[in-house]
Amino acid sequence: MGDLVNENVLLVDLASGETEEEMIDEEFFGEHLSGAAANLALYERHADGDPVVLGTGFLTGTLVPGGGAGVVTAKSPRTGVVCHAPLTLYLGAELKYAGFDFVVLKGAAQAPTCLWLHDGMADVKDGSSLWGKTAWEATDAIRRDLGEDVIQVLSMGPAAERGEPAAGLVANYWPTPDRFGFAGLLGKKNVKAVAIRGMGLFDLSDEEGFVAACMDLAAQAKELLSGKGGGVGPIAAAMGEDIASWLAPLTHRHKADFGTPYAANTFLATDQDPSVMQETQVAEPGMLLTDAGDVLALKALGMDAKQTARALAVCARQGVDPAAAARLAAEQGISDADSLEKALASMSCPAGDAPPGTMAALAPDRPVFGGFGDLSGEAARAEWWNRRQAVGAIFGMDPRFMCMAPFLTEEKLCELVSLGAGLTVDREKLDDAVNKVLGE
Amino acid sequence: MELVLDPLKCIECGACELACGYHWDRALSPVTSSIMVYRAREKKNYFGLILKQPEHLVLGRPEGIETQRIGAVTEGREADASAKPIMLREACDLCEGFDQGPLCVLFCPTAAITAA
Ligand code: SF4
Ligand code: SF4
Repeated sequence: MGDLVNENVLLVDLASGETEEEMIDEEFFGEHLSGAAANLALYERHADGDPVVLGTGFLTGTLVPGGGAGVVTAKSPRTGVVCHAPLTLYLGAELKYAGFDFVVLKGAAQAPTCLWLHDGMADVKDGSSLWGKTAWEATDAIRRDLGEDVIQVLSMGPAAERGEPAAGLVANYWPTPDRFGFAGLLGKKNVKAVAIRGMGLFDLSDEEGFVAACMDLAAQAKELLSGKGGGVGPIAAAMGEDIASWLAPLTHRHKADFGTPYAANTFLATDQDPSVMQETQVAEPGMLLTDAGDVLALKALGMDAKQTARALAVCARQGVDPAAAARLAAEQGISDADSLEKALASMSCPAGDAPPGTMAALAPDRPVFGGFGDLSGEAARAEWWNRRQAVGAIFGMDPRFMCMAPFLTEEKLCELVSLGAGLTVDREKLDDAVNKVLGE
Repeated sequence: MELVLDPLKCIECGACELACGYHWDRALSPVTSSIMVYRAREKKNYFGLILKQPEHLVLGRPEGIETQRIGAVTEGREADASAKPIMLREACDLCEGFDQGPLCVLFCPTAAITAA
């Protein structure tokens, strides 16, 4: 194992069920860097298998504040373009610690399959008992069968099994920003779920220098976030809508993605008193809101916070992109979760307009707390957002924290890669990688 | 000096585990730390902290802190199954030999862990 990386790619030939671990060297990382840019190179190398590539960045799963995300790359069935969406919560870090930098899922399995990644091993398991289950049921079943409640599960719901263009991937129980139909693509490949548990260890090239730099950034993050609160509220506020008092009566606790000092997710207790902190017998007391944009889209239909949380839970269980579900609800005049559930069961969800660009929007299209200089004008903001998201996806950074932390400069991220992995990333190389990721 | 846990401030970011793992291994690993984020009840959004001290296990549950003698835990009387992995690890030594103080405190973004 190299510094900060496993130096490998797992190739999964779904048709035969065979897996192969391919070692990659410094030359590969020097050429393609990591994260989304390396995913793209692997996509192109295996394009004949219409692959879905799961990847991690140099800084995924490290002490760098915000260094927690992975990235999934594939040709979007909705846009026909190779696109990238973040692997949120603990998924990216777990993949890396499970012993794989990249996983290439090629071809299609003959029957429902579940991939189990752990301890540097990859098991292609029969997934037929999972087929037909909601994403919540699938995660519960996988954790029960494999015997650990903290296994991370990337899964799909019935919408992807039906080939819905607006199906979205689910991280454990919560929606991911899969705006590109990747879940439907995995459905066609008969891959119901990827289960991951990571227990690895990574050496550092300059351990003291790396940790000192991370400590300095952690101190800056604390200063930045002091008194700012947490959850989707401040992100929605940056997007122009103050929903603090709308959320407050149901807010339980905020929760972060791995390694990220800002808790960007808000749990709303819809079926339990939100002030109750001890564990109760209520098995499913509420919903984790992971995306302020989705919340605002449902709120705009007239839903209150409880209905919004329940509607998002319906989307997560069925494995539907909440943005597409909001469009369906708008078309049908739906403003409650039960009606949305019925509508999703009996009709196709409109894929809607293809999302622009190659990067999935999870982060707001502007700085959350300011501090990034003058970004007036749509064009300047879009250019800033695209570059920021691409750089984050290349290095393994949380997309939302990239829109919060001005001190995470490109130079600083490159310096961290140098300290941690011993690899020099110059400006030219980064520009080249960013352009490729953005499809420019 | 001792560590003080405030579990309700925890946001489940996992930084303390990695920081502590670095203290023990001089490498990045979440599985050797003396402190662990308890996150086995994800659908309930119920999470907290477990700290292994030389003679005690501190269970930082959201509803309050409980300290158990390690002997009592290993005998299984009041054991919490989630505490199992941490039983095999080194006990917290308050980052002995590290001048700047406990690493978990330095990396915790929310002051869910402080030193008193
Ligand atoms: S003080 Fe040091 S040894 Fe103790 S839990 Fe924190 S990081 Fe680990
Ligand atoms: S670093 Fe702090 S907030 Fe993060 S998991 Fe540990 S105690 Fe919780």
